[in-house]
Amino acid sequence: MNRYRVLQGALVALCVASPFFGIPGWTVAVATISALTAVALIGLDMIFGVAGMLAFGQAAFVALPGYTAGMLEKFGAPVWIAIAAGVAGTVLLARLVAEFFVRLPGVYFALGTLGFAFVVEGLARAFPDWSGGASGLVFESGRNIGVEVWYAAAALLLAAGIAFHVWLLRGGLARTLSTVRHDELAAAVIGIDVARAKARIFTIGGAYCAMAGICIAYYVGVVVPESAGVNRSLEYVGTVLLGGLGTAYGPAVGTVLLQWLFVVAGYGKRYELLIYGVAFLGAVLYARNGIVGLLAQPWRSLRLALQPAEKTPHQPLLAGVGARIDTAPPGLTGECLRVSGISKYFGGVLALKDVSFSVDYGEIFTIVGPNGAGKTTLFNIISGIEPASEGAVAVDGRDLSHVPIHAHAPIIGRSFQVARLVPELTALENVLSRLDQIAPELSESEKRSTAWAQLAAFELDALADRPAHTLSVGQHKLIDLARAAVGEPRLVLLDEPAVGLARGELDHLRALLLQLRSHGRAVIVVEHNIDFVASVADRGVVLDGGIMIARGPVADILADPNVREAYFGVLE
Amino acid sequence: MNLFTQSIISGLMSGAVYALLAVGLVIAYRTTRVVNLAHGESYVVGGLAIAMLADQGVPAWLAVAAGIAASAAFGYAVERVFLRPRVSWPVPSLILVTLGISFFVRGVMLLVAGIDPLSFPRLVAGPPLRIAGGAMPQQGIALLAVAIVAAIGISLFLSRTRRGRQLRATAEHPDAAQLMGVNVFAARSLAFIIAGGLGGLSAALLVPLVPVDFQAGLGMTLRGFIAAALAGMSPTASMVSGLALGLFEAFVTGYLGALAQDPIVFLILIGIAVWRSRGIRFGGGARA
Repeated sequence: MNRYRVLQGALVALCVASPFFGIPGWTVAVATISALTAVALIGLDMIFGVAGMLAFGQAAFVALPGYTAGMLEKFGAPVWIAIAAGVAGTVLLARLVAEFFVRLPGVYFALGTLGFAFVVEGLARAFPDWSGGASGLVFESGRNIGVEVWYAAAALLLAAGIAFHVWLLRGGLARTLSTVRHDELAAAVIGIDVARAKARIFTIGGAYCAMAGICIAYYVGVVVPESAGVNRSLEYVGTVLLGGLGTAYGPAVGTVLLQWLFVVAGYGKRYELLIYGVAFLGAVLYARNGIVGLLAQPWRSLRLALQPAEKTPHQPLLAGVGARIDTAPPGLTGECLRVSGISKYFGGVLALKDVSFSVDYGEIFTIVGPNGAGKTTLFNIISGIEPASEGAVAVDGRDLSHVPIHAHAPIIGRSFQVARLVPELTALENVLSRLDQIAPELSESEKRSTAWAQLAAFELDALADRPAHTLSVGQHKLIDLARAAVGEPRLVLLDEPAVGLARGELDHLRALLLQLRSHGRAVIVVEHNIDFVASVADRGVVLDGGIMIARGPVADILADPNVREAYFGVLE
Repeated sequence: MNLFTQSIISGLMSGAVYALLAVGLVIAYRTTRVVNLAHGESYVVGGLAIAMLADQGVPAWLAVAAGIAASAAFGYAVERVFLRPRVSWPVPSLILVTLGISFFVRGVMLLVAGIDPLSFPRLVAGPPLRIAGGAMPQQGIALLAVAIVAAIGISLFLSRTRRGRQLRATAEHPDAAQLMGVNVFAARSLAFIIAGGLGGLSAALLVPLVPVDFQAGLGMTLRGFIAAALAGMSPTASMVSGLALGLFEAFVTGYLGALAQDPIVFLILIGIAVWRSRGIRFGGGARA
């Protein structure tokens, strides 16, 4: 038992016992409602803070279980059935709403959820015979339970809620959701089924709200239309923002602080809204990680003082090698990719016209051409980001035209012209986030050693634990390449990998490409650095204005007079 | 009284206001790519300011001028104080900022103006016009006329004047506009001032007929957004969709009751959000 654990345990005990210390305004009743609200807000924070979805109507999911149970009780259902149906129905509804909403981009999701809260509040008012109208539904059963029992139950529920949050968001899922929050396109390209990941977290968050909501309804004894509405929803968002986005403790800290403030301030509703508004706006503008974020640094220092850091080095399990994820069985030869007759129009503008070529296993293929020639568009079509207007893309003879982007990831690894890393994740975590998707069968330590070995191949292992936002542009580029090639997918697409790299880094890149080739992988490189291309690539195509003007061995296409004219603008 | 005619009349009146709100929302959105969720607060700020000034005995025309000025100043502040210093922030964060502003303003308005809806005397008095079994207050006619004139004025301003063209250039392609010598920030400020002013103008015209309270803003923003989204974020077409939304709402209220209005109108909002974003993936437009 070290001193840090003792401190943690003492703090928890202190918090749980705090309502009995006689702190003005901090009564058992206030603590109970704070704890229950905090549970709902942990759910909101998973959706809004962790996954970055602008859920502005979450109060509806807190009020709905109460309404459902209350109406069922009114029509004679036994209380336990009413409660179970209220929670289950709300979770199902959350799943259904997610189905419609998770595909909505940013602002539309925000407006959809705002609309949802307005609809639920409006319905509660519009059907007074069922919902009790403006005066709400009354619950009797909760009164039979003692105040202390309620408090113990609420504290336990909060503890369980925090523990489940910590457990759920350890390792892989936290990386997945961070990537989704920061960049949905990059997330899909590394293999994340973005819609599914968002729907799952929305449903889990909804379940938190449903469980907290049913307790709040029976504890308070009444549920009214406002408790489902937009204002309440925005108060919830403000509380989460104040406490700290994306943290397990933030929602509890924010709720306790605000609830207590309202009680001691004793001004009633008049100042409450303004306090919420100030908390909301202040946190958005000046403290994106809220109170927990502000306390994080001192807390870390305290922790280090009490519990000297035990270094957890990411040494590979076997010296020098990570686990190999074999997406291509050894000895695979012959044709990997076939691009046949691809054309692409944006509106009436031609981007690609009838492009065809094939790439073999164990080959480095290159696509060269001036800016605007359609190289990136071609990459986007191969990796499934954009559909082709005409033509087909097949890997191992399998047509990929209707395969969703994320399902390309196990077979295709892709880097971006401008690296798209998650800034707050470390270099290692960025590489891991692709492994999470393509090699879910590996254990966390196997994934870590694989990712670490991949970084080591670029001599980036020293930076493994640095958050990406602290690294340079060139380092970003290399990490993006390392991520694209990790697990050695059978086809690797690299979009201008040499741009911005120093000479030493170019050597690492060349070594990586040659290694992929010697392992039998197919590699396609879009590149402007002709010397580099000439030194590694076997064959290639040249695009100009969307039209393929040459195809064949690299030495030949670079010597082709048409290519020299189009690309270098010289006639010799 | 004829319910059908009366629904048309009240629908046109609120529709004209939704149209003005939509026009403001659209020009602010097009120049900054931010859906300003605090847009409806310009209506509330203007309406409550006029009502409180009129209550203090300030002459009506002065109160109205001050209220519209307050709304325009509020719009300017949103752009200048909150959005401009954060131009590098991602759009969702900026939307969160505007939502925070709306929330904050609601808290301030509750303290300043109290919880009850406020109103002020009509600017255009006189007996209502009787048309086909309905009654149209003269203020309502003024409201329609001013809204139409304002909308036409805005589109002329956008198409005919140098400033207006700069604003459109900023909307189309801010970087190119900047390279061509357009002061993009000034154009954005102007867009928010106009949007705020239109909010204040709407309040000056509608609040005498429908009192306003501290928390009306977000509902107004969302109605403006419904009209704007239906119009495909085009300022001219927003005029038509705003009127259509007002008419629809009035018929729902007239035939199904006032309580049916919120659920039905906001179901439409959800439908629009789903419909508008079909085909948009990953927030659209990112170059991979």
